[in-house]
Amino acid sequence: MMAKPYAVEPPRVATWLVSLFTLARETESILGDLLEEFSDLASSSGAAFARRWYWRQTLKTMVHLVPSAFTVAPWSTAAGVVVGFTARKLLGPLPERMIFAVLERYQVYEHHFATYMFFASTGIDIGHLITFLCVGGIVAWMAKGTEMAATMVLSLFFAALGVVAFVYLVGKTGRLEFAWRLAWNFADALAIVVGGVVVRLCRFKATTLPLGC
Amino acid sequence: MTGRDYLGEFEHIILLALLRLEDRAYGVTVRQEIEFRTHREVSIGAVYATLDRLETKGYVKSHRGDPTPERGGRSKRFFRVTPKGMAAVNRTQRALVSMTEGLGFIRSCS
Repeated sequence: MMAKPYAVEPPRVATWLVSLFTLARETESILGDLLEEFSDLASSSGAAFARRWYWRQTLKTMVHLVPSAFTVAPWSTAAGVVVGFTARKLLGPLPERMIFAVLERYQVYEHHFATYMFFASTGIDIGHLITFLCVGGIVAWMAKGTEMAATMVLSLFFAALGVVAFVYLVGKTGRLEFAWRLAWNFADALAIVVGGVVVRLCRFKATTLPLGC
Repeated sequence: MTGRDYLGEFEHIILLALLRLEDRAYGVTVRQEIEFRTHREVSIGAVYATLDRLETKGYVKSHRGDPTPERGGRSKRFFRVTPKGMAAVNRTQRALVSMTEGLGFIRSCS
């Protein structure tokens, strides 16, 4: 059936967020319900009121649906989180080893010291970021249908670990320079969620389910 | 009887809404029915999260309707209460009535 064009459209970003956070099998009905009420509200109370209502519903829906993934698909979601944690443990040290292997192989330290310093510090951080992105992809691949819930739980876990480590280090040494390390920790945690988003979007593309439209 | 046999507050409200709406019960109508009767704003996510939990417990069943143009060509998901869900509503309702009997707090609150 062809979709009827609407004079007032719901906020696209909000619709996209709902598509990401709902269980795959529920996306169609939830987006349909929201659009139906949005259209009624837009004609009765105006577009601005309807948009505010839509955003409020979107944020509340995300808050409710992330924990519910553990009730609806507990095993696949939990398996995703556990596999992600293990993958992080296994893949975590790889970027550092690989970068130092390459640096030593081409004797960068001897010939290009600035390049060596860049790769030995920021390069390793970027390597970790890519690793976390891959971990997010693995978690989302395991937790089919509840990709965002699984990746967000793992992401929050690593972010919390980073905060605990930061507080411990600052408490012990009194040096606030570790705040920079904390920023990288948050970036790593965010990369897990981004990995989840990528897998979720790929799955949507592979099926005929509408996304953000 | 275990504690699991009783419904949570929102589960109870959702099942009562389904019973009221009969064959018209889907996300929008359930949400609006609860808002109309309880005067509290409910998100569609809360409704679906609870309905999913109730379906996992075998208290409700769902089926898809036909796609409609006013929903952008998306279908509705209709819900109905199963006999097991009906028994849970009765059990919880009886427990509530039994617990409030003689307290007269409804009279004093009004």
